[in-house]
Amino acid sequence: MASNSKKPLPLTGVRVLDLTNVIAGPVATRMLSHLGAEVIKIELPWGRSVGNMAIFTTDKKVERPYNKNAGFNEVNRAKKSLALDLADPRGKAIFEELVSVSDLVIENYSPRVMPNLGLAYEHLRTLRPDLIMVAMPALGSPGPWSDYVSFGPGTEGLGGMCHVTGYEDGPPSKPGNFYSDQTSAFHVATAIMSAMWKRRRTGQGKRLEIVLRDVTMAVIGEKFLEYQLTGRGPGRVGNQHHGMAPHNVYRCKGEDAWVAIAVASDEEFAKLANTTGNPDWKTDARFASMSARLQNQAALDALIQEWTLQRTPQEAMHRLQASGVRAGAVLKAPDALVDPQYQSRGFVDYTHHPEGGEFKHPGVSFKSSGPLTSLGRRAPLFAEHSDWAIGELLGHSSSTAETLHDEGVAPLVPVVRK
Amino acid sequence: MNAPDPIERPLDGVKVIDLSLGLSGGYCTKMLRGLGAEVIKVEPRDRGDDVRSIGPFLNDKPNIETSAPFLYLTQGKKSVAMDIERPEGRQIIRRLVGESDAVVESFKPGYLSGVGLDYESLAEDNPTLIMASISYFGQEGPYSQYEGSEIVAYAFSGYMYITGDPDREPLKAGGYQSEYHGGISAAMAVVAALNYRDLTGEGQYIDVSTVEATASTFEGVSYYSLLEREGVLPRRKGTRLIHTSSRAPYPSTLLPCKDGWVHVHYSPSFPDGLATLTGNSRLAENEVMTAMAGHADEIDQGVTDWMKDLTREEVFELSQELRIPFTKVQSIPEVMSDPQNEARGFFREADHPVAGMLKYPGTPLAPWGDEDLPSRAPLLGEHTDEVLRDTLGLSDGEMERLRAEGVI
Repeated sequence: MASNSKKPLPLTGVRVLDLTNVIAGPVATRMLSHLGAEVIKIELPWGRSVGNMAIFTTDKKVERPYNKNAGFNEVNRAKKSLALDLADPRGKAIFEELVSVSDLVIENYSPRVMPNLGLAYEHLRTLRPDLIMVAMPALGSPGPWSDYVSFGPGTEGLGGMCHVTGYEDGPPSKPGNFYSDQTSAFHVATAIMSAMWKRRRTGQGKRLEIVLRDVTMAVIGEKFLEYQLTGRGPGRVGNQHHGMAPHNVYRCKGEDAWVAIAVASDEEFAKLANTTGNPDWKTDARFASMSARLQNQAALDALIQEWTLQRTPQEAMHRLQASGVRAGAVLKAPDALVDPQYQSRGFVDYTHHPEGGEFKHPGVSFKSSGPLTSLGRRAPLFAEHSDWAIGELLGHSSSTAETLHDEGVAPLVPVVRK
Repeated sequence: MNAPDPIERPLDGVKVIDLSLGLSGGYCTKMLRGLGAEVIKVEPRDRGDDVRSIGPFLNDKPNIETSAPFLYLTQGKKSVAMDIERPEGRQIIRRLVGESDAVVESFKPGYLSGVGLDYESLAEDNPTLIMASISYFGQEGPYSQYEGSEIVAYAFSGYMYITGDPDREPLKAGGYQSEYHGGISAAMAVVAALNYRDLTGEGQYIDVSTVEATASTFEGVSYYSLLEREGVLPRRKGTRLIHTSSRAPYPSTLLPCKDGWVHVHYSPSFPDGLATLTGNSRLAENEVMTAMAGHADEIDQGVTDWMKDLTREEVFELSQELRIPFTKVQSIPEVMSDPQNEARGFFREADHPVAGMLKYPGTPLAPWGDEDLPSRAPLLGEHTDEVLRDTLGLSDGEMERLRAEGVI
């Protein structure tokens, strides 16, 4: 979707103060910025909270590593940057002035931080009565664990996701990387835009608390029903499905190469049998019905793999799909960059960053017939918009801005942490 | 959840026609329903939504009214049972859509144009209509007609390649993650489109691919740039993150204790906290601290040695006392009765005429004061009469005729 300058985006005119760090919060506000909001990232004066994302800045010889972190430059695309020491009264005052001209404040600190800074919702709403404020605690309140600390991956253990993810003969596992952070970000952005839509009708603000673990439980919600309906606590089933067989990944030609296949009916199984040159499978008592196949999956999987091993994942996928069998290559990152489907839909988002260089990012999760998003916009340099925010937006003199820069309240380069 | 809030639910007054037959559309409209929208689900009159056929079922007996995923996904929606391929069924859909804000569907791309219910046709009656189509590969492109499923989309998104143990086959996450990701992406797009409609008075057609929705979660790890920039292929690493640098922070992984598993995680604000917690001073030595990921095996061993005589509960409490973000791995029954969920009332009871009294997880989209939301799934066609009579003003005679002809 190319942006269309004549038309607004869904959040055009919405200003967001983004206090979030690491993954879940920044990804949520990245979505808001691509949907048209002006997102001002309020950065810590001593530099960027790279946390998990210290992938490209570990070389100490690199100059200004804070501008070159690839993870940071990915999740903070299309935002503005202002570094501000909120613990300094002058920094806090600037923040309060920004609140009075903003629509949304979002933070993902542990629950004590904002009240300790004197920046709780009850105070901020006096500066901006229709303010929407979003908190993203790990475990929510009330309750004995309200003040406990966890990152996204930890909520997958507490929420049941780890218990139901893993090989059927193995210990609990988890989806790769920061899954719950990512899925939470989608939910947070949805809730925020709903609140914005409502505010346009009521003129009222709201404090939202979107709990990471709640999202983690919601995305496996049917497991809680399964337990109650069957009396069995759901466990790990690897790549199997209780109602489909075959349903697995199969090794292919090439290094660590795999294709996923799922068969939902006898009709689909007949197509699989014919396509792989094994029409006798259809009458084999071990495989002729879904219940038989569910009983004899291991034997069937071994036979299917004899066929897939002769083909690359893409060859296997296209052959099977040509006859209507559900199949998908287990894609590796470089595969997606050259895949005709990904390419034809323009999924990958390319940015150029003056210090970080060229980047390829995952794009937006939907396409639309109108201007819903704008891509191709890079992340800001550290404090890149400091003068704009203090001078242009808030109307302070350049000497005031300079003092704030020089004394480390709104530094232009990271200062030593106090 | 918290006490009812004085402001109403955000999407109060929004009406959504849900033509989707599957998990992704079900999750999309579940989220919209949780935000207050009215969701009218149109189901094939003989067998209902495909999700009704996905088990497990009550007492393991297949029954279209007791499917676990259906009971979960369809809470609070209305069900109209109808044959949309019949001209009269089609007419009813067009009339329903004419009075609605949004339509969600998940048919194979192209199917709805064949029955005259594509966006262009529906927008003739409702020029500001928002319509979201969810498919596995997308409405357009060379693979748009390919068949999909949850595992196929998870695989083709690339997520499967980074899930599982390094020396085993790629692994699917538990549940229906690629389907639900397509669902929440569509819900997000619909809400964005509602905002856009406010600004411009224009509707929107939305095309969600569950493959792309799942792939869009690779943010923050430079997934697509890593090979080119670092020479490293992002690949599964068990329960560890897919860092490439030995100097990255560590741990973030699952490790065993006396009675189960713990998610262990470093604390950015307490970098030498692991040594304090475990009493193992090696974990605070400069050599380890400056290259934590490079010492992952040693750190795992140190933490495991400390945990082997402790229960999950003991590890959880001892670490949280020091504000070190360790959490315990809980089973599904344990999650349902843990003290935090109990205190927050996260699971709520609802009675269903066939499935009985069950506890359902609450909406994750913030406490909006949803005590009065209808909280169980509808029986197939439960609201056919109500919707057709009250919303469309059909007479009893007309409904009798449609019923006799097998349309409803």
